Amino acid sequence: MTEAPAVQVDALSKAFGGLRAVDGVSLTVAPGERRVLIGPNGAGKTTLFHCIFGTLPASSGRVLLHGHDVTSLPDHQRAALGMARTFQISDVFAELTLAENLTLAIIGTDRRKWSMLRRVPRFPAVREAALEGLRKVGLAARADEPVQRISYGERRQLEFALALCTGAQVILLDEPCAGLSQSERQRISAMVAELPRDITVLMIEHDMDVALALADRVTVLHRGAVLLEGSPAEVRADPQVHEVYFGHA
Amino acid sequence: MTPAILQAINGISFAALLFLLASGFTLSFGLMRVVNMAHGAYYLLGGYIGLTVAQQTGSFEFALFAGGAAMVVVGVAVDRYLIRRVGDNHLAQVLLTVGLAFVIGDLSLAVWGGDNLMVPAPDYLRGAVVLPFDVYYPKYRFVLIVLGLVVGVGLWLLYRKTQIGAVVRAGVDDREQVNATGIDIDRLFVIASGLAAFLAGMAGVAGGAFLTLYPGAEWEILVYALVVVIVGGLGSLEGAMVGALIVGLLDSYGRWLLPEFSYFILFGPIAVLMLVRPRGLFGAEH
Amino acid sequence: MNTTRALLYLLLLAAVLALPAVAGPFWTGLATQVYVFGLLALSVDLLLAHTGLFSLCHASFFAVSAYTVAILQTRHGLPTIAAAPAGLAAGTMLAMIFGIAVRTRGVYFILITIALGFVVWGVAYRWSSFTGGDNGVTNVPFPAIGPAAITTHTQYYYLVVAVIVACGIGYTVLVSSPFGLGLRGIKASETRMRSLGYRTGLHLYWAFVISGLVASLAGVLYVYYNRFVNPVTGSFQISVEAALMAIVGGTGTLLGPFLGSAVVLGLRNWVSSFFELHLMVMGLVFICTVLWAPEGLVGLVRRLDIWRRLRRDAS
Repeated sequence: MTEAPAVQVDALSKAFGGLRAVDGVSLTVAPGERRVLIGPNGAGKTTLFHCIFGTLPASSGRVLLHGHDVTSLPDHQRAALGMARTFQISDVFAELTLAENLTLAIIGTDRRKWSMLRRVPRFPAVREAALEGLRKVGLAARADEPVQRISYGERRQLEFALALCTGAQVILLDEPCAGLSQSERQRISAMVAELPRDITVLMIEHDMDVALALADRVTVLHRGAVLLEGSPAEVRADPQVHEVYFGHA
Repeated sequence: MTPAILQAINGISFAALLFLLASGFTLSFGLMRVVNMAHGAYYLLGGYIGLTVAQQTGSFEFALFAGGAAMVVVGVAVDRYLIRRVGDNHLAQVLLTVGLAFVIGDLSLAVWGGDNLMVPAPDYLRGAVVLPFDVYYPKYRFVLIVLGLVVGVGLWLLYRKTQIGAVVRAGVDDREQVNATGIDIDRLFVIASGLAAFLAGMAGVAGGAFLTLYPGAEWEILVYALVVVIVGGLGSLEGAMVGALIVGLLDSYGRWLLPEFSYFILFGPIAVLMLVRPRGLFGAEH
Repeated sequence: MNTTRALLYLLLLAAVLALPAVAGPFWTGLATQVYVFGLLALSVDLLLAHTGLFSLCHASFFAVSAYTVAILQTRHGLPTIAAAPAGLAAGTMLAMIFGIAVRTRGVYFILITIALGFVVWGVAYRWSSFTGGDNGVTNVPFPAIGPAAITTHTQYYYLVVAVIVACGIGYTVLVSSPFGLGLRGIKASETRMRSLGYRTGLHLYWAFVISGLVASLAGVLYVYYNRFVNPVTGSFQISVEAALMAIVGGTGTLLGPFLGSAVVLGLRNWVSSFFELHLMVMGLVFICTVLWAPEGLVGLVRRLDIWRRLRRDAS
């Protein structure tokens, strides 16, 4: 018996007025797979992510999560069903501390978030989980510092920890290495590579080498449509891809 | 049947007045991202100044202009020396301009007193127009509708069809870019804020001739203008037109049918909007 | 909470408790007003500091609860034990209705709350058969629950202090609870919160209702102090004043709104003895605060502290 795909996209389109940012994209991601989306700027990769996650509603087509049709669900409900994402421009809670950031991620899909009569320190299990999450990305020492004090690279790490802390089984990473130095990129790549196989990863990545090293399968987008899909080796060799995509280092 | 038509004309003439005030308010936001809660105070002060001018010179037309012109001076000064200093912070803009409105309101009270004052309308605008079915209707209100239409069409043409309008709209999106092309966007913003203030002041004179001027009028009229803008969508000229009509008619019929609940009738459209289309009928997502 | 903070709070409490004995009836009355309006300001600040939503209709909840208590006690002869909770409920229910405003954000939200506030004021003013119109409702008695009846202003002062202290504790717990943290998360980044599974609209709605409840409580305290309520109680001026108190005192703190209340009411009391145009004075205070002290007094004190410390380190 075959397991339902972790993420399935059927003929998804998204139009902004006259502009078709995503044009009839279909893809199927198996559970535990590492799928990387590449394509030149403006290919519609981030918009596709917005539609898969629910940040934006699709104009047409379907999105299925573990076999369930989530097309009409808003983003917070898809998150509750086990999806998490990071954003192209790192989006964390700047005014709060690192531990508070993770606390919010941990209780996000949990009834404890509605608690009004107990103060946060009186939830020791949450604190422990937050520290554990920070340890995984090497930021535990700065748990009680405000995010404003950490570097952009560290914010990227924090965002990664946020996605992990939700307990999501499907994680969408939108250019997790963008804006980082070489050593910071290596850190993030290593963290992605070390993710357990019960988590499915969809990643948008601009750096061809990073992308092909991490991917099980690659989908190439061009002008909102799927140009090609295959193994890293197949994509690397394909002449169409070389013609269309000039972004690799 | 006739009272219903009378109320409709009342509503439309009130809508014309509201449009004069709301258009400036909505354009200030749409063009310059400025929320100016002192617009009601501009209405009142412009009206009072027009009143004094009309009493001194006997000319209503000149009073209309004077009320508007006086507010251009105030409006531009306020924009330059006060509002500009808080930038895009809407909360600060609201607090600042509310404070300003309190100052203008109390100063006006000190100068003109607390009685209901009416701007004297010229003879050719007094009296009635005879409608079908032998109905007599105040000539003044008809003229107000015409004024509203003229201003509406004029603004629409200016905003949508001219070079200046296009440039200001571009300037809202990207100030530096427009500046880089050699156009002085700051000067254009001054013109825009001056125009908004002029309309408010002129509306005060026009309104003062049939609604009277009194302390508190600046807030009462502003609330109507706010509902117009909420219903029509902040920043939209078309929204101000449609919103003004809706609010004007609702208010007119509301006062006629349920006099004890006048403001309450406005709650309806607000509630409906909130549930169905929070950005307003023509409002933009931004 | 560190020891200096705790000591400060204790000193403050001691001063508050000693006031009637030390200062006499005029100051006791003024202080009662400061606490009641401070609570109203706190309700506005609850939203502003923790969700970023700026509401200018909170006087509506304040007035509706005051009117409800007044009408029930004077016209229908209901005792405090029924009237006070009814007032609280009425104000809170209005907040549950006005809460639809949280379908908007930013400027739109501000404008809508202004309009909603005027709707209530307009009803209070025009529906004279029920509300007494301009004249309002008078002769509201002091509260009495069974044998325990308030008979003096001093007794009422202590009742108010007790309620305020309870509110202060409640506020502190709420703000440091997961719900409170969630609100601050929404203020920091609503998209981020949604991506973590939060139904942000619902959180904001409940925050609005809770803040409306606090404003209604202030209204109940107000009407028993003032013994009288009229449309001015629900006016835009009051909503704006409450916001000003929160900002002048320093938003995001428990004491800030009360400090702001003391400043605004104290200033008005002092100025009105020689100058009539107190709205103008309030307007000027607004303008000056926005331009030169946007963090309010608490913020200024913090800045002074840092400056003093720098001087110490440098020398």
